[in-house]
Amino acid sequence: MTNTRSRLPATFLILLGLSCVGVLITDFWPFLQKGLAGQVMFSPDETDFDQILFHYSILPRLAMAFLCGAGLALAGAAIQTVLRNPLASPTTLGVGAGVEFALTIFLLIAPASMALFQEAFALAGGMIALGAVYLIASKRGNATLWLILAGMIVNLLLQSGSQIVLLFNEQYLQSIFMWGAGDLAQNGWEATEFVLPRVIIGMIAVLALSRPLDLLALGDETASSLGAKVTTLRFLILGFAVFITASVISAAGMIGFVGLAVPAALRIAGLTRSRDLMICSVVTGGFVLVLIDFIVRQFNGLGGDVLPTGAATALFGAPFIILILRKARIMPGTQSEDQHSDQEIVSKTRLTVILGVTLVAGIFVSLFVSLDGNGLVFLGWNADSLDILLGRSERSFAAMICGAALAVSGTLIQRVGRNPLASPEITGVSSATALAMIIALAIFGFGQRAELMMIGAAGGIISLFVLLILCRKFTHAPHYMLLNGLALTAILGAMVRIVLTRSGTQTSMLMSWLAGTTYFTNMDEVLIVAGVTAVLLVVAIALRRPLELASLGTDQSVSLGLGITGFQFAMMLLAAILAASATLLVGPLSFVGLMAPHLARVAGYRLAGGHLLGAVLIGVNVMMVAEWLARNMIYPAQLPTGLIAALIGTGYFLILAVRKR
Amino acid sequence: MKTIRAAFRCLVLCIGLVAVNGTYAKADPIRIEHERGILELPAPAKRVATINWSFTETVIELGLSPVAVADPQDYADWVAEPKLPDGFVDLGQRSSPNLEALRAAKPDLIITIPDIGMSYEKLSEIAPVLELKLFDEKRPAFEAARDVFAKIAKATGREAEGQAYLAHVDAKLAEYGERIRMALGPDQKLNVIYFFDESTIGIFGGTSLPGSVMAAMNVPMGFTGEVNKWGFARGGLELIAPYAEGSVVYTNPVPDTILEKMFASPMWKFMAFTRNNRVYELPVVWMYGGVPSSLRFARLLTESIENGPHR
Repeated sequence: MTNTRSRLPATFLILLGLSCVGVLITDFWPFLQKGLAGQVMFSPDETDFDQILFHYSILPRLAMAFLCGAGLALAGAAIQTVLRNPLASPTTLGVGAGVEFALTIFLLIAPASMALFQEAFALAGGMIALGAVYLIASKRGNATLWLILAGMIVNLLLQSGSQIVLLFNEQYLQSIFMWGAGDLAQNGWEATEFVLPRVIIGMIAVLALSRPLDLLALGDETASSLGAKVTTLRFLILGFAVFITASVISAAGMIGFVGLAVPAALRIAGLTRSRDLMICSVVTGGFVLVLIDFIVRQFNGLGGDVLPTGAATALFGAPFIILILRKARIMPGTQSEDQHSDQEIVSKTRLTVILGVTLVAGIFVSLFVSLDGNGLVFLGWNADSLDILLGRSERSFAAMICGAALAVSGTLIQRVGRNPLASPEITGVSSATALAMIIALAIFGFGQRAELMMIGAAGGIISLFVLLILCRKFTHAPHYMLLNGLALTAILGAMVRIVLTRSGTQTSMLMSWLAGTTYFTNMDEVLIVAGVTAVLLVVAIALRRPLELASLGTDQSVSLGLGITGFQFAMMLLAAILAASATLLVGPLSFVGLMAPHLARVAGYRLAGGHLLGAVLIGVNVMMVAEWLARNMIYPAQLPTGLIAALIGTGYFLILAVRKR
Repeated sequence: MKTIRAAFRCLVLCIGLVAVNGTYAKADPIRIEHERGILELPAPAKRVATINWSFTETVIELGLSPVAVADPQDYADWVAEPKLPDGFVDLGQRSSPNLEALRAAKPDLIITIPDIGMSYEKLSEIAPVLELKLFDEKRPAFEAARDVFAKIAKATGREAEGQAYLAHVDAKLAEYGERIRMALGPDQKLNVIYFFDESTIGIFGGTSLPGSVMAAMNVPMGFTGEVNKWGFARGGLELIAPYAEGSVVYTNPVPDTILEKMFASPMWKFMAFTRNNRVYELPVVWMYGGVPSSLRFARLLTESIENGPHR
């Protein structure tokens, strides 16, 4: 068994290598036939366009694909080893999104004279994102799951941040969107010359540190006792991994999943020593991206457009996550202890009073007070007032109902999954609903909201079934459901990106909906969602006793004679329906589902019934405030409410992390 | 909920607008076909709100000042002309025009596009809405722009002015076409390209606004390949290689860094149009605009080609 295991990576590598040789032969073939291969590589005939095209476009593209793949895979291997987490990677830990956000802002806002600082800016973006993820997850023993969920929060926030910046610069949408989706097209050797030295420096540094890294892999205490300066080493290695990632993304845009899938697959194949793993990752990552890019190139020009390599890579790579989930042994970590170690930020009674008062005052402010660019305006009485009030109440009510729906959904997922960082979008339901609606609108041209809602709901339910099928074997470990949901979310996210690059004139409307705007909702829809939420909330409260047992842990519950798996799935289904309803109204960004139940529990709403009601109260309040800010903050522009709520949510988790120190 | 809303509206109508009721039935209504069927206007619109720049420029060109405009700052950078008049209400982004600001502008007609069709009902509560399609993959953009122009002229009761303007445009296009053919020389085909970055270009196809305006000017276009939903093809420089014997005009705005890198690249230098010195620069024109932008495109294209290659 050990023998076949150790041969597996080698076989894998040889197969990939042969495929790449095949790619090279296919690309070189026209020149090989004429015996011009050497010439076209080193000194192309400047009068023959085929040779020029090959030498200055295809050849550098091959080189870039190899370099980017190698760099990202190495960065992924390093991050995975340092954090001892098989699911960590530049993309899952927010580094990619951080670099992308920083660069998007830089490209749009910074004056040309600042161009020298672009790289430093990108690097800082990646480091800050990684820092934020680490901060949120730290002091929780850095359990595998915590880190990944924290990465997911930061990822979502930064991606929607990038999208907002783009919404205000619609004209540049097409250019930056292409780059954001990962584009390997080349015109000359400049990009290769930029990436090559940086990736090599990064590789040498990481490989030089790989011996101490092997010690790190044994665990903090062992490494300390051997004299390694654990913290410094960790920081240095992570820094170089971010440096490689930032260089690659600056030159080629977001190329996800190579950094996650390649080292994780190699580890499963039997490579455990970090030095072997990293050397193998470099070669394998390079080969893999060359292969994927070769396939992508065959689709270029289809429909008069290009297929972005990065987004396609996500489609190829994401199924690996599901495979990795089946192989990797991910422990639930120390969540049950964590449940009690959270300090109370505010007391339950005080919070309830504050929330109640805010809610009443907030409704009044939402309806009667606004900003108009000059200052506060109170709604006076005239013929238009009723219509204005109706418009405001429609949007405020929509936001508040979504807040309630997501709060209930989040509470159920967090209690049943016994994970205080779980949230509705982790189940993949939000993303699937969004994807179904976007495909229906952008590709098949459905324009009516009623039609779109039906299609969206169908998408949400299908994703739920996929999730249930994936999780059949893990009925005793709810966190697998969360991680599979995470993989599903990633796949759907990549598909959304590909669809968006091809959605033509509707892109900006789709993007503002994706970021969670209440702009397009109408009262009939709000009332339907309100009805669904009310009914399901009553059901959940009626089931508070078994819910209480479920959150104690599977073993105890089973011993108490409760059919826990069926119940868990029923609760998850409830949560999914609620999340899908909210997504239909205001898009898939639902930090409220994460934050509201968490804050409620921290404040001391420990019993299931109180937890539900507390979370609803918080969710409604947060969305109400977010909605008012979204409408008025930079009048007359209308910001997406989901994004403001996300900013509030991330802020909350960062404050929480800082307070714990 | 519809009934509650209807009740509210009834109430408002009863309180405030009793006097207005009498004037409705008198004149023959104006009927305009649009994306949502037939729009009936009791009288020509005087206070027009425009959600899209091509409607904005059309309304201004018809001699009317729009009362509300979306994205006015970017209009100045990307459309440039005709200049926006003073005293309109800023509606914020084109993708989500501010409804309260729109209401405050008291429009009697709102012109919008199907791309934000989800907001149609909300806009309809404020004023009659004309939803006009600007791009249709199957239809040349200039034809659609003329159609939109005629419909807006009708809605604002300026059909005579509209027809005169369109006739003026036709005459001008014919004249500009002649001048371009003269300047380019016989059998020279022209391609309009846009630089996305230093390695990716877009080539406008026959259905795009520049492509269909060139067809109206009788200026031959080289590119015949497949285009995307925006009416252009996107890819590397190999896209334009088969048409390199013709002339090329690139659009603005483009960042200088992209231009420098593109012009320094061996593939660009190799192209026949570079070696034959047949590359022209076009000043800022809105390539997704209406008839006014079409005319502006034709004029600037003519001037740029008559002024000679870009460097």
